Amino acid sequence: MRKRGAGNKQGNGHRTLRIVLLSAVLLTLTLIFLVSTLGGRKFGTVHKLVLELTGPAQSALSSVTEYVKYLQKDYIALVEVREENRRLWRELQECRETANRNREALAVNTRLRKLLAFRESANLPMQAARIIGKDPSLWFRTVIVDRGSNDGIVKGLPVVNGDGIVGQVYTVSPNYSKILLAISPSSAIDVLLQKSRVRGILKGTGTLSYKLEYVLKTVDVQEGDHVVTAGYGGFFPTGMPVGVVSKVIRKRRGMFLEIEVAPSVDFLTLEDLLIIEQQSGAPR
Amino acid sequence: MIILVYTLLGFLFVILQTTVFMVHPVWPAAPDLYFILVAYLAYRVDLLRGLVVLFPVSWAMDAFSGLMIGTYPLICFLAFVLLKIMDARVPVRESLYQVPLIGACYLVVSRLVYFFFSLFSPDALASWSWPLMLLRATLLVLLAWPLFRFLEFINKRLQGKLVPLAVLRVRTGNRYRSREDRP
Repeated sequence: MRKRGAGNKQGNGHRTLRIVLLSAVLLTLTLIFLVSTLGGRKFGTVHKLVLELTGPAQSALSSVTEYVKYLQKDYIALVEVREENRRLWRELQECRETANRNREALAVNTRLRKLLAFRESANLPMQAARIIGKDPSLWFRTVIVDRGSNDGIVKGLPVVNGDGIVGQVYTVSPNYSKILLAISPSSAIDVLLQKSRVRGILKGTGTLSYKLEYVLKTVDVQEGDHVVTAGYGGFFPTGMPVGVVSKVIRKRRGMFLEIEVAPSVDFLTLEDLLIIEQQSGAPR
Repeated sequence: MIILVYTLLGFLFVILQTTVFMVHPVWPAAPDLYFILVAYLAYRVDLLRGLVVLFPVSWAMDAFSGLMIGTYPLICFLAFVLLKIMDARVPVRESLYQVPLIGACYLVVSRLVYFFFSLFSPDALASWSWPLMLLRATLLVLLAWPLFRFLEFINKRLQGKLVPLAVLRVRTGNRYRSREDRP
């Protein structure tokens, strides 16, 4: 016990000595450092050494930081650009939709203005009608419109649009009617050649052209002559445009010319029609 | 129930044919969907129920199209009877052969009906055009297969036998009928 106590005393003495020595070394180094920096006020060798040693690391770290900042900035910009891109795409889609709607509205407006102008110039009682169905058959040419006997429509009434004669009412139900188009083979309309005032019968062919029949070979008919309604039947008003002569064939045999007429109405774009109502006193 | 559903489907086909598929009044490439229904009824439904469905559908076609009343009932019933007879007589019961038959039947029936009406009022019909009729028959054949599957799907649903689409082949296990099965 006594031996162990003496050993401890000796160990404590050594430790104290070591602490004193270490403190002295540190104090000396601090003093040297202070003297070299504050005393000479010069950028000493130690500083240079430290700077040279830490400079590359600092430079590298700074570059990395700059790069990270640059990346972050780019990424944020990219995110913003993407969002802006989405927003612009949305806006572009909206603009396109608006443009489409405007174009459609403009087309409808033009068509309706034309119909209105025609209606006002014709000065006849008319009903506006819309095509709701088309005959899929290859042999007949008819369309269904949304006006019927409840609207005062009767069989035989002429149907027109802003460009001229479209056809006539073939059958009627309370709210809908079937219109026989003028290009249908069973359609026959009394017409006049506008220039010569010669009368003929305009027949449909089932295609986008008419045949003008019963015009004598002695009559001077030329391509480009206008064909209008004669108004003899009582249903069609006189002088309504029907088409333009597109071909005249003079065959050696027969009394009559073979005349092809191009319709004044574009049957490929038919949408809105006008049904000319029966005037009082006109035959039914 | 089957009669009602197929009649409504027939009306839907007629409406589609006269609106969506007719781009303008002289559009040539509108498929005759009603004819596919006629063929399906001839192949898959018994005579009485087939005729009951065909009456209103053909009348609807008559209302929407044409000038001569009775044109479409004539076409529908002629085609129905013709296809029924062929279905009973032809030994091969395979859709692969049935579909082209619809196109052929369409051409034959159309030509017969056109000939019949041209005897009575030749001026009322547009001239017969083989290229246009072949175009229509081709469209019919192309659409027959998907529409047959659709109609078969409806049929299975109505009978409460809904099976996966992969199994819905419109054919029997045996492609050739035995002598006892033939009428």
